[in-house]
Amino acid sequence: MEASLGSPVPTLPFPISRTSYAVERYFLFSAETITWLRREHHILGVLVGTLAQVPQQNVFLGLPLQLQPEEARLLVEQGLAFIVDDFQWHRKTYDEMTKEEKKAYKASLRQEGEALARASTQKSQKASEQAFRRRAQQQSQDGDRASRTDSYSTTEILDADNEEAGDSLFSPTTPETVSPLCPPSRTSLTHMTSYSVTPTSSYQLLPTPPTTSRLDLPTIKHSSYALFRHLHNENYFLSPGLRFGCQFLVYPGDPLRFHSHFLAMSADWDEEIDLLDLVGGGRLGTGVKKSWLIGGLSESENKDRGIGNPGVGEEVRTFCIEWGGM
Amino acid sequence: MADTGAQTEAGASAFTTFIESQPGASGGVSHHHALALQVQYDLQYQHDWTAIKLHTHSGTSTSSGAGLLPRPLLSGLPAHHVYIHPDEQADILKQGLTEKDVSVEEEWVLPTHLRERWTLRRFAEVFDAIEEAPPEREAQRGPTERKSYQRTRKRGKRLLMAVVNDDSTIVYYIIHDGIVKPRQN
Repeated sequence: MEASLGSPVPTLPFPISRTSYAVERYFLFSAETITWLRREHHILGVLVGTLAQVPQQNVFLGLPLQLQPEEARLLVEQGLAFIVDDFQWHRKTYDEMTKEEKKAYKASLRQEGEALARASTQKSQKASEQAFRRRAQQQSQDGDRASRTDSYSTTEILDADNEEAGDSLFSPTTPETVSPLCPPSRTSLTHMTSYSVTPTSSYQLLPTPPTTSRLDLPTIKHSSYALFRHLHNENYFLSPGLRFGCQFLVYPGDPLRFHSHFLAMSADWDEEIDLLDLVGGGRLGTGVKKSWLIGGLSESENKDRGIGNPGVGEEVRTFCIEWGGM
Repeated sequence: MADTGAQTEAGASAFTTFIESQPGASGGVSHHHALALQVQYDLQYQHDWTAIKLHTHSGTSTSSGAGLLPRPLLSGLPAHHVYIHPDEQADILKQGLTEKDVSVEEEWVLPTHLRERWTLRRFAEVFDAIEEAPPEREAQRGPTERKSYQRTRKRGKRLLMAVVNDDSTIVYYIIHDGIVKPRQN
């Protein structure tokens, strides 16, 4: 982490894309912003992007990053971000786009595809040339061990073939059969076709949305947001807690380096808590070396700090529950 | 709990006799008081606690005078440690001591019934009404302690919540006031 301290800060405030069909979801599409947020602001989110061919994939997910509503709200309140209705913004911008702009964008995609195809062909040619050179060296060295050289060279050629097959997996041209005696023909460079590039996000095409298009803050249960902000202010990292039957998993540091400490639940000040939930949470938490944390916004009268300013005079009370072991 | 007295004719159970023997128990006790007595019985005979005391009034100086506690609380001296903070656990290991070298602390106990429903406000009221440690007993701590561990941390407010079920099962959960990291058992 420390090594990458010099990584760039995104232009602030950055847009958070909102989609709302059945539920409102908040997405980030820029890897740069995501890493910066994680490092500087303890905002984790959840990567939700799968490969198009493997839609049931559930590990090693990629962009985009889905933010919890609490995270989105915190970022907006801190002035780091603003929320944009993704669908409307795209429709509006596409409608306003001129023919020339569309043409230019398509051309740029084609150029990118050609450059990729060129790079890939060059790479595979270099690899097979190296393999042939190695084989030639080997043949001159092991001239006396004729029988073994034969078997060596066959595997070498197989290796070269494999490498090429791996590189040209996405290449539109079928790989030529390589005869063991002559190097591959160089004609492939001339009749080369371009890869078709499918952009994974539209931020090269669309301008950054203006901050004037900002939407309202996400509406979240008051106690839930208060607890989130309280724990976030205490420098904890929070991630969604469904796996442990709670609202948030609370980590003392980056989840890549630490186990979580708490299973957090929020409640209103007068919301009734079933003691069986408390017992179950406490028992589960202790079983996985965590503590069950319940918290919410205090409404007791002896609150003497500034009132009226949201978030300033609010006091969050938390209680941690562990099994007593007896 | 209301009909515990009915058993006396047909030979009182040990628990009934225990309740009858408590000061002020004759003539019926409140539900909360009876719950506390049931927990007290469990602590005394099942878990070998000593110096168990029933508290009905708050001892905190902050709350105006000695107000009535939200409900009766118990305090007592456990036979073994109920709670050692993880930092202290690590410290004890570093000093080559064991948990036996640490003096046992008195604990607060909050008697509850499983079918009650609690709120954050009520938990806060209980915690606001107690001190970190139960009121000091008469000094009767044995001088037997060998190489003892000096506690390094301020004890936070904590209590042991006793949850009673109808089948008289009692489970105990430690509740801390505020954010306290979990123990690494």
